[in-house]
Amino acid sequence: MVDAARHPKVDVRTYTEVERVEGFVGNFKVLLREKSKYVRADRCNGCGECVPVCPIEVPNYFEMNLAPRKAIYVPMSQSVPLIYTIDLDACIHCYKCVEACGKLEAIDFSIEDKLVWEDVGSIIVATGYSHFDPSVMPEYGYGRFPNVITAMEMERLNNSAGPTAGNLIRPSDGVNPRRLAIINCVGSRDKRFNPGCSNFCCMYAIKNAILLKQAHPDMDVTIYYIDIRTPSKGYEEFYDRAREMGVRFTQGRPSLITEDPETGNLFVHSEDMGLGQVIEREYDMVMLNQAAVPQPDVDTVSSVLNISQSPGGWFMEYHPKLRPMDSPTDGVFLAGACQGVKDIPASVAQGSASAARAGRVLHAEEWEIEPTVAYVWEDRCISAKGKKCGICARACPYNAIEYERGKAARVITAKCHGCGGCVAECPHNAVTQLHFTDAQILAQIHALLADGPEEKILAFRCNWCSYPGADMAGTSHFEYTSNERGLRVMCSARMDTDFIYEAFRLGAGAVLYSGCHEQDCHYITAQRLGAKRADRLLRTFEKMGMTPGRFRVEWISAAQGDKYARVLNEMQVTLDSIPKKQLLEEIEDLRPQMEKRARRMRQVPQVEEALAYADSLKVAGTGGEV
Amino acid sequence: MFHESPETFAERVRAIPGGEHLEMCYSCGTCVSKCMIQQKVEPEYNPRRLIRKAVMGMEREAFEDKTTWLCSACDLCYPACPQEIHISGVLLAIKELALQAGHAAPLKTAVVDELTCVACGLCVEVCPYEAITLVETQVMGQTRTVARVDANHCMACGLCAASCRSTSIGLLEEFSNEVLMEELWAWMGGPLVEVTE
Repeated sequence: MVDAARHPKVDVRTYTEVERVEGFVGNFKVLLREKSKYVRADRCNGCGECVPVCPIEVPNYFEMNLAPRKAIYVPMSQSVPLIYTIDLDACIHCYKCVEACGKLEAIDFSIEDKLVWEDVGSIIVATGYSHFDPSVMPEYGYGRFPNVITAMEMERLNNSAGPTAGNLIRPSDGVNPRRLAIINCVGSRDKRFNPGCSNFCCMYAIKNAILLKQAHPDMDVTIYYIDIRTPSKGYEEFYDRAREMGVRFTQGRPSLITEDPETGNLFVHSEDMGLGQVIEREYDMVMLNQAAVPQPDVDTVSSVLNISQSPGGWFMEYHPKLRPMDSPTDGVFLAGACQGVKDIPASVAQGSASAARAGRVLHAEEWEIEPTVAYVWEDRCISAKGKKCGICARACPYNAIEYERGKAARVITAKCHGCGGCVAECPHNAVTQLHFTDAQILAQIHALLADGPEEKILAFRCNWCSYPGADMAGTSHFEYTSNERGLRVMCSARMDTDFIYEAFRLGAGAVLYSGCHEQDCHYITAQRLGAKRADRLLRTFEKMGMTPGRFRVEWISAAQGDKYARVLNEMQVTLDSIPKKQLLEEIEDLRPQMEKRARRMRQVPQVEEALAYADSLKVAGTGGEV
Repeated sequence: MFHESPETFAERVRAIPGGEHLEMCYSCGTCVSKCMIQQKVEPEYNPRRLIRKAVMGMEREAFEDKTTWLCSACDLCYPACPQEIHISGVLLAIKELALQAGHAAPLKTAVVDELTCVACGLCVEVCPYEAITLVETQVMGQTRTVARVDANHCMACGLCAASCRSTSIGLLEEFSNEVLMEELWAWMGGPLVEVTE
């Protein structure tokens, strides 16, 4: 930290909050609130003369509130930069510190918060994690029994720089405990609080047990666990070492801790899995290894940076395996536990990877993006004519569309990832997606349904899940109907209602609408747009009186080749179950409605030419009336 | 590519409402150390081990296990389970299968005195196990409606005995009204009012 602060190219801003972020990759503008320390950074030399004279004492957050601090303080002695801060909520304005500071004149109560805009090329989010509060679990008595402490409190009590100078004492009477229980999975792996595993607590429990055993070899240290998870290099050896040192490992999650009010000793009730019977053991002290949870202000950070969250409140990565350090927003990277609980080696690895990714942005003259971005035909956008709309901007999961009434919507190309959600949502067909224009896709639909359309099953597949899913069906040799005709778009969000109506107008036997599962969406939340639209379509077709099963919606992942084959075979069975004459009659009956609903699409630029071209090929080929 | 396989024991437990979450159990033992029956009545009682037996397909062992028959569905374990499994539901599902297989509950259950029962239905309403129904039967040559206890579902809690206005339903032996009253008197040092014949 000291090295970083001294580096000529590193600018450390502590006690500073990010209020707003504008712009895009390589060109961010960040609004910073530098909170006032009421101490001038250019004059304070960190001598600490002001501290002894301050008459106010408040709980010290850094010491887990086990020790006091003054109203003028540094969080810890290794703080960087070593500049004192006045906690104005606690200060009584006696100005004794000003006197103590003397000629340096570093203390200045007139300093105010400073708002500064900074230009930055990339952003790394490393906001870390917070701790689960075990007092919400009454069975463990944290908060009621003084000798039940959390892992972080143990960390301070057993630290030579801590409030007791490393002398482990129990809070009720200051006696050194001789019997200690460590309880794992407090609030983690628990569907009532945090369903996930907190990753590092097993190692953390073993570390504390080894430290205590080294200092007090005769101490009885027992670790209660559900499963011990020591999967990385050298971890199992560490676990073995703890066993060799005589740390007792007991499988079985305690259900209750009770206290003897006379002695303050604690009784831990659990089922010992090895014995297969319930045991109750007495301890002087109990340490709860509490779950790691997201920081309480993740929602604020999410909205400021426009990065989404995975279930549980951790920041969402671009791809869990291939791009774990990238956020879905280009130029914003994630490091450490804010993306998901991880231990120190993993956090360092991710931090270094993020730094390298961020450096790539800073050193690039130009930034390459996918060419399949959205584009607005300004003359078609009704907002330009002064009407209220903004549907495209609301549909965009990346906040890449600027909408202002009276002006045509504007796509910030650098932010657009090309899901095509805005394109399909725009009711006036004023937005298109390069390489996936309405004209191109409609021409494909015409070509695919040129011959005997009533026998065909037109399958819309998204680029990331159901298209590879169909591939998987092929490479795994899962047989499926040869009447399937696949059509690729980037995301289910791009599957415009017009395409479906047009396919049925042309007389398609059946249409499959398929894409990623919601949690696998490659465009943050775009799949939900597609899913909502598909539900609407299902209802519409039901009202029209279409045979159920002719339009089908399925979410198929890249690995579900078997599902893809199964769904298509089921659709073929549905299609075969309708007598041909009845099917043709139904198609004829519904055609006027489909035509009416798809009429607007023909006004889109290039569509007529593309369709004329597609149809000319058909005439030249096998023929057939549409 | 698909082949028919006979349903496993675990699948049959899961198929019964309440038994769905059987295989969510990761054997932490919280339910066992929480259980009052384990602590006060039967040290061999162990819901975790019974769930394990069901998962491993040990059908005969599961049916013979005391745990199958003793769970009173007090649900003390339910809020403590980190996997949010409704344990009594799973246990009752196993019991249901055991009953279907012809096993009978070993508990001493409530008994109805059909001569005095007036079929008021109070016991039917209070029974937490829905073990009591009103049936028509022949009593002393007459057709009468009386309460009937399903011995397989009665857990011998005694709520029916406490609510019956005509003392027509009750438990036998150590939990009969007479024995309980004597115990109460012994504790109080004799009846407050002399009972005369």
